[in-house]
Amino acid sequence: MLGERSSEALPKLVLTRVFAAPRALVFQAWTDPRHMARWWGPKGFSNPVCEMDVQAGGRIRIDMRAPDGTVYPMTGMFREVVAPERLVFVCYAIPDNDGNPRLEVVNTVTFAERAGKTTLTLQAVVVNAAPGTETALDGMETGWTQSLDRLADIVVKRASRGRKTWPTEPPSTPAL
Amino acid sequence: MPPDRLSVKFAALADPTRRAILARLALGEASVTELATPFDMSLPGISKHLKVLERAGFIVRGRAAQWRPCRIAPGGLKDIDEWLAEHRRGWEERLDRLGDYLDELQSKEKKRARRKK
Repeated sequence: MLGERSSEALPKLVLTRVFAAPRALVFQAWTDPRHMARWWGPKGFSNPVCEMDVQAGGRIRIDMRAPDGTVYPMTGMFREVVAPERLVFVCYAIPDNDGNPRLEVVNTVTFAERAGKTTLTLQAVVVNAAPGTETALDGMETGWTQSLDRLADIVVKRASRGRKTWPTEPPSTPAL
Repeated sequence: MPPDRLSVKFAALADPTRRAILARLALGEASVTELATPFDMSLPGISKHLKVLERAGFIVRGRAAQWRPCRIAPGGLKDIDEWLAEHRRGWEERLDRLGDYLDELQSKEKKRARRKK
């Protein structure tokens, strides 16, 4: 935790997951809203609105609906789209009473294929809070680049093991 | 915890100088002067950062009038950890569903391929 050496040191989490599916299929499941609507959100949730403009600067809007009917809107924006290997998108979290986000979470998702399986790595970094939550410290020069060498670090890591029950041979072409 | 307090905490961590101050304090308590030395920053400048960290609940400051040592507040990171853990759970659930969905897509494709034969 605190005191660990890290080059970034912003609050972040990293997840890794292996899917027994070709990379093109996994990437498509992330970038085609018809597919994403089928898996986005916690179990039992549906996504009545799932829209995305898959290009740098393109908007994302997903309305998740809980089993009790409550709708949780989520908005975001793509920063990088490199098919089929990398996606960077920002999610806006914890809206205030006016609906403005208090936090921005930058998600970097990478897709690597090996022997027909795809390793997905997701890194989520909390980068910013809405203006107003921070005092007016902008413009102060720190001038201390060595500080990068020793920074507070908060990392939640979990390298999930691959799933156990996979079809033995996934088809070579995506079923999309 | 109220979202406001959480965003104050994340905002406090958003600045590299403040993260460096926290990293320094993780090694032990320090005075404002000691904290200012490596930063090439004025004492009022450092004090502003310390106020932000104090308000966010990351540090506490001693009462001694002249030398107000700063140190890490116990449990200051708990809220951040909890938020991250919750966020992680959300992603784990999504990825579980994605795995199931990919299975479903592929078994459909297999059936379709079999029918064609």
